Amino acid sequence: VKFKRIVVVGGSIAALTAVETLRVEGFDGSITVLSDEKGPPYTRVPLSKTVLAGLVSEDDVALPTASDLVDLRLQVRAHGLDVQRRVVHTSAGAVPFDGLVIATGARARTMRRRPGGERVLRDIEHSRSLRADLAKASSVLVVGGGFLGMEIASTCCELGKDVTIVDREPPLERLLGPLVGARIRTAARESGVRIRVAEGGVELVGGKTPSGARLADGEVLDADIVVSAVGDLPNVEWLSGSGLDVEGGVRVDAWCRARPNIVAAGDVATQTGPDGSCRRTPSWTNAVEQARAAARALLHAEKATPYRPSHYYWTEQFGLDVKMVGRPGSDGTPAISEGSVDRPPALLEWRASGTAYRVVAMNHGIRPAQLKRLVPAPAIGNFSNLP
Amino acid sequence: VRVSADTARCEGHGLCEEVAPAMYELDDNAVVAVVHEKVPPELERLAEAGARVCPVAALKVVR
Repeated sequence: VKFKRIVVVGGSIAALTAVETLRVEGFDGSITVLSDEKGPPYTRVPLSKTVLAGLVSEDDVALPTASDLVDLRLQVRAHGLDVQRRVVHTSAGAVPFDGLVIATGARARTMRRRPGGERVLRDIEHSRSLRADLAKASSVLVVGGGFLGMEIASTCCELGKDVTIVDREPPLERLLGPLVGARIRTAARESGVRIRVAEGGVELVGGKTPSGARLADGEVLDADIVVSAVGDLPNVEWLSGSGLDVEGGVRVDAWCRARPNIVAAGDVATQTGPDGSCRRTPSWTNAVEQARAAARALLHAEKATPYRPSHYYWTEQFGLDVKMVGRPGSDGTPAISEGSVDRPPALLEWRASGTAYRVVAMNHGIRPAQLKRLVPAPAIGNFSNLP
Repeated sequence: VRVSADTARCEGHGLCEEVAPAMYELDDNAVVAVVHEKVPPELERLAEAGARVCPVAALKVVR
């Protein structure tokens, strides 16, 4: 091991996983974590679910950090990187490094150019303030029907709110395909959610705090609370001028490296797949797995195993527990290998040339590790299965 | 140093095995099995890392 001082920029699951992996791999130099969060690291997974519903305390979301492993510096914002001099410039001065892990994550995308009072759900303060305001509200409009938007809608339903969700496309269709997407939308409607598909898109209306959304035909959907769940943007602005390629995320090679001594992992990293397209994989599982691969590559270079995502995803909403292995997509027609989609449990397999490249379990007791075994690793990365 | 696994609590996520294959294995039913109940000194850090990553806290490293 050639490095003495490794700096990790970011304070969430990718950053902490990188730290842990560096130690497990035997790195005994100093590790400094620079996090711009107010408090210690926490897991974001329950923010749209149990935290929003008020079912767990905020202490329950804390991520354990072994203080003897790392020098954790909170409320330190990185604003520049000097690749040649090996220095991160921060709100608390210059921090030198030999090896660097970039794990600055992503932030919520907003509908408005000047977000101001636009409500999003990304960090614990968003979840806290949304929960507080929901107590005084009766109706909620969720803009965006992806995993996050649908989970927010589901939680708001459980809290007894009158919920509308609006998207350009039928919610979850692009991620889970027509069969599974329609099944979850049915569950949402049965829970009382109104689903509006606005092909022409929507525009937020109201003052600083949006009070509704206007459809292309002029109709306005009003609500006491409007939440935007319209994707995320990688936090790469601090790297501008560094010489790193940060178009659409920090571009890294198969070992998660941007330079031999600089790796990136999690929502901020973008990697070229077998089909040549470059994309981010903003999910919890990816953050963990990519951080492990990145940390190993930082220490062992090409001797480390190149990163291969497991593409494991899960969501819980409207009484449905959905687990998936494989790239999200709307391609192909699954075979129902067990149960019934209408009346789950159900197990679905998407196959190409006799090999499963995606499996979905709905309210099915199959364990995540068993689900992963159903999809051979090479089939997951085989983009040619996709349209 | 010992590892205790609460197999009733284990949900078969398999993260312990991914992090620390020398310490944890999942059986055919994806239930965790501890490889070394008494942890060899050189595997202590690995055992802790695998236990920490368990999403349902089914693994405990006891000193």
